[in-house]
Amino acid sequence: MRTSCFLVLTAGLILVGTPGFAHHGTGVSYDASKPVTLKGTVTEFRYANPHPQLYFDVTDEKGNVVHWSGEFYPNPAQLIQGGWGRKRSEAALPFGTKVTITLAPSRAGTPVGAILKLLNEKGEVLMGVAGGGPGEAPRGGAESGGPAVRP
Amino acid sequence: MCGGLALSAAFLAQGGQRGIPAADPQNANKPYDRHDLSGIWTRNGTPGGYGGGGTCRDCGDRGFGNDVPPFTPLGQKMFDANKPSYGRNLGSPDAAAHPEEHIGRRRAVPPSNGTDPYQYCNPMGPSRALIYPDPLEFIVLPDRIYQHFEWGYGLRTIWIDGRKPLMDPDLPRWWGYSAARWDGDTFVVTTTGVDERTWVDHFGYPHSVDMVLEERYRRTAYDVLELNMTITDPKVYTAPWKSQTKKFRRIEKGTIKTVDGWAGLLEDICAPADEVDQFNKRVRDPAGGVIR
Repeated sequence: MRTSCFLVLTAGLILVGTPGFAHHGTGVSYDASKPVTLKGTVTEFRYANPHPQLYFDVTDEKGNVVHWSGEFYPNPAQLIQGGWGRKRSEAALPFGTKVTITLAPSRAGTPVGAILKLLNEKGEVLMGVAGGGPGEAPRGGAESGGPAVRP
Repeated sequence: MCGGLALSAAFLAQGGQRGIPAADPQNANKPYDRHDLSGIWTRNGTPGGYGGGGTCRDCGDRGFGNDVPPFTPLGQKMFDANKPSYGRNLGSPDAAAHPEEHIGRRRAVPPSNGTDPYQYCNPMGPSRALIYPDPLEFIVLPDRIYQHFEWGYGLRTIWIDGRKPLMDPDLPRWWGYSAARWDGDTFVVTTTGVDERTWVDHFGYPHSVDMVLEERYRRTAYDVLELNMTITDPKVYTAPWKSQTKKFRRIEKGTIKTVDGWAGLLEDICAPADEVDQFNKRVRDPAGGVIR
């Protein structure tokens, strides 16, 4: 499942100081001030604690495929509040789905990130992750911004 | 096909905290029994009061307290051995900019390099579990109260049958041994024998097996429960450590439900099959640059 993908940009956004913001302490591992947007193809999705995980392939300009993994900031309990139960989530992210992902990359430089925003080919927000960042309450599907709940 | 996506700063903009208020004005005049602690209480600030995120407004943060007494030499050694993944990043400009905070809140390392026992689904222990934002249900029986925690789906027993606190128990336990009594309108729980592998809070403050944890609960409104804690542990701290006041808001059973409408606490279990075998190996550790 090759995909026409690209590594796009790193925008110098500033996330205001958020000590220990992630649900499971994982915020330390990622640099939310340097978000990256990728286009990729889903290889696996896991809806589980402590954070659902998305595995996807990204192909660079030279045709090399990089296997990425991403974790969602919301956990299943929080996703449920936004209407993103397991069946709906898995139906939205089957193997081979083409997605556009904005993530906070690993500070270690590995192909891992915390997912800030997830869109399908139609531009629909998946998993209610619309870019609110850590602590964002997942939305029912409509894209919108808004303040995050700070942990 | 390649192209660029502009990333709007707006979606990361900070706004006011959206969480639930500590007390709902609609409940202000509802009658309540100060000695009735039953029901579901939450410190979670997410709409609905459960499911990740942070604490609700004025519910207190996720640390035990800011006024940390000086450590004993043993306490300092135990503190240094604990490497948490919460708080400001160790060595970061952010950490340096907040010298007013105790170092315990300024030493976070990636979980892959940390020592947090909960990263492997080990029990949190009583004080840390109480500080965690997600809901807990007080199940009141004639001789005991069960605290049922959503996160971890843990069950803690607090005896109210008149027994005295168990001092120097033979076998430490993850939840310790808890006995309680009423002091006027304050419900006082004394806990001993807590396994010292648990942390006081998620910032990695230690305790010894000799710790005595006192919890004092006061129901101050229909939907508000206040908690003040004190840790007395001369092996680790040179003086008793008083917590910040924590507040819980009461929520009704039907507030928490699955997408199928199944009401009641969610089964939010930390299962090693998910956490250790999958998440830690495939995401957490690589994110920290650690390949095991």
